[in-house]
Amino acid sequence: MNDLVQDALYDVIDPELGINIVDLGLVYGIDVDEDNNVRITMTLTTPGCPLHESIENGVKHRVREIEGINTIDLQLVWEPSWDPTKMSLKARKMLW
Amino acid sequence: MSGIKSDTAIKLPISFILCALVAFVTSLFILLVNSQELLAGQFRFPEIWMGAHFLLLGFAVMIAMGAMYQLVPVAFLTPIWNQSFGFVQFYVTVVGIIFLSIMLGINPSLAIYGGILTVIGILMFTFQMLKTLAKRKENTAMSHLVLAAILCFLLTILAGLSLTWNFAFGGMANHSSILYSHIAFGVAGWFTLLIFGFSYKLVPMFSLSHGASMKRAKPSFYMYVFGLLLLILSFWLNQSFIQPLSWLFLLIGFGLFALDIKEILTKRLRRKLDKPFHFATLAIINGWVIHVAAFFISLFHIDDPVIWSWLIFLYIFCWIIFSILGYLFKIVPFLWWTHKYAERIGKESVPTLKEMINEKVSGYLFIVFYVALFGILISTSIQSGVTLFFFLAILTVNGLLYALSIVAVLFK
Ligand code: HEM
Repeated sequence: MNDLVQDALYDVIDPELGINIVDLGLVYGIDVDEDNNVRITMTLTTPGCPLHESIENGVKHRVREIEGINTIDLQLVWEPSWDPTKMSLKARKMLW
Repeated sequence: MSGIKSDTAIKLPISFILCALVAFVTSLFILLVNSQELLAGQFRFPEIWMGAHFLLLGFAVMIAMGAMYQLVPVAFLTPIWNQSFGFVQFYVTVVGIIFLSIMLGINPSLAIYGGILTVIGILMFTFQMLKTLAKRKENTAMSHLVLAAILCFLLTILAGLSLTWNFAFGGMANHSSILYSHIAFGVAGWFTLLIFGFSYKLVPMFSLSHGASMKRAKPSFYMYVFGLLLLILSFWLNQSFIQPLSWLFLLIGFGLFALDIKEILTKRLRRKLDKPFHFATLAIINGWVIHVAAFFISLFHIDDPVIWSWLIFLYIFCWIIFSILGYLFKIVPFLWWTHKYAERIGKESVPTLKEMINEKVSGYLFIVFYVALFGILISTSIQSGVTLFFFLAILTVNGLLYALSIVAVLFK
């Protein structure tokens, strides 16, 4: 289930950068318990990013589509704050 | 934050922006039909006052207000204090600005009535923003800049109101000192400090920059504000040494800001910057060059009003207006995207922000803006009325095309 959620998050694209949130390194953790309740911990590149509501909604919508998912608990955290080393090589290449 | 529904939050900024675009094209058209006055360097002239205020109040202030309704909540993480109050403020301001600008052009002695309405609208805006900012969680260089900008805005309109009072009833001495203070507070105080403030947020965001120190933000702020105060003082004291000194401080303040932005851009992760953003950052160089010019012109005590008028003209266009024209191309797609696609992201494939604009077209528009401004400058230098009219016409048509391409985003 954990992998299914992770795969789904690859479909959520940051509309300004055009890169998915997993490769951007915004997703800090995915926990699925035995009742299929999902808890996602994530951040955004800048606090006060104007797109944060949209990206949060995107995550919820996309995960909700996975069969068998129970509740979704999305935690937006600023600690540790995002930094570029969290990006995947692929994301870095896309920016260059 | 989550309390703000994207849907209601979008109407206010969009209303401001659409009105502003109409005012923009109107102001360019007014300058075009008054090209003879411009050629003569005759800026203190009713029709030019009208054009200037359509441009500065109708376009630039309206955009600034619309953008602040959108950006202050996200940048400071606090919701707008009162949305309905915002709409009342919008209508009062629009009617006020139209009335003020038109009267400045056709009957300056009546301009004060439009002026009063405009001032009420602006006071309502200030009140709204102060109420909103009061809820902010932390004090940053950015909040200092925005608060100082708002204070300068208030002083600008106070001076403006006094000028219209003089047109209507006379009696106030020092009209030209008030006018110069009015221009300095409006152009250098309000607009420049506001663009400084928002650049510190927008430039790292759009370039995806990380780890820039922004250590010059505070010194830049103090230098610039101190320079501005000295400049105002020089208008009232007639001490010839103060003015070059004030321009030096303004130049250093502006330069420190430019260095911070340069550092942010060198630490960016996004290699390819899009054209609108590029255009907006290029305006910083324009602003700095004009500050350098102003410093030397005052150092050599050149006080030909025609030269200063053109310097102000260039500062307004190549720094303030160009910054706004660049950022608007980023802000409007974002606003519209949030409105239209925010609910659909994750459910279906949605366009990226880049796909909301025609970047190639924006590039051409920006080049033509530069060509037109260069042409205008050369034409006045060689005193050629025909080419001046020609380049003003290009500026006007290009402004119209620009406005249309912004509106086109709303059909995406
Ligand atoms: C941010 C807002 C404003 C800015 C940036 C601004 C800027 C300017 C500039 C650049 C000029 C010189 C134009 C020229 O000589 O052709 C000017 C003149 C003038 N402004 Fe404003 N203005 C603002 C708001 C206002 C307001 C709200 C009023 C009235 C309540 C006003 C009243 C006037 C008047 C009467 C003049 C002509 C004075 C003269 O030449 O004797 N302005 N303003």
